[in-house]
Amino acid sequence: MIQAEMVEATEFPELSMRHNVSGVPQTTINDGMAHVVGAVPEPNLLAEIQRVLTK
Amino acid sequence: MAQLLNDDIIKQIREVFEGLANPVHIMFFGSKTGCDYCDDTRQLVEEVAAVSDLISINIYDIEADADLAAKYNVDKAPGVVIAAKEGEQITDFGVRLAGIPSGHEFTSLIQDILLVSNRDSGLNPQTREFLKGLDKPVLLQVFVTPT
Repeated sequence: MIQAEMVEATEFPELSMRHNVSGVPQTTINDGMAHVVGAVPEPNLLAEIQRVLTK
Repeated sequence: MAQLLNDDIIKQIREVFEGLANPVHIMFFGSKTGCDYCDDTRQLVEEVAAVSDLISINIYDIEADADLAAKYNVDKAPGVVIAAKEGEQITDFGVRLAGIPSGHEFTSLIQDILLVSNRDSGLNPQTREFLKGLDKPVLLQVFVTPT
């Protein structure tokens, strides 16, 4: 149900551009429903996922 | 092709992999078209897999094995699935890599293998609780650059 993928941005420029990747790491949730830039503490990531799912 | 991982690194990985608890299965998906890093990535994961008997690996082609790629939601090459294995049974833990795991991401590859081998996410109770009740698909993509 949940999948987590490391994406090497320089190899996938179209995908990176589509998600406006500038600073890395960038965590994109559900194909662009939310983005978090930088290291994300676990509670923060959880909160973001929950927020996306209630949109 | 020359070995990608030097003997020192192999030795370190071997020590880390002494902590492997359960079998891990790696599925590599390459492509013959427009994949600059496919050969290197394939060789890299093969060399890592060779360090431990608990790690098995299968090599696939994203076009020739399109059904399998779709089943595992792999749409980019090089694509790596790190799954759990019990006997012949493969269990998907949702762990994916797209692109070559070089630099700092090589450590992530090793850590991912350990994580899946231990069959434990290491997450907080609240996160586990939430994930247990998850009934909609969630896709997390972490964009990184080679360091």
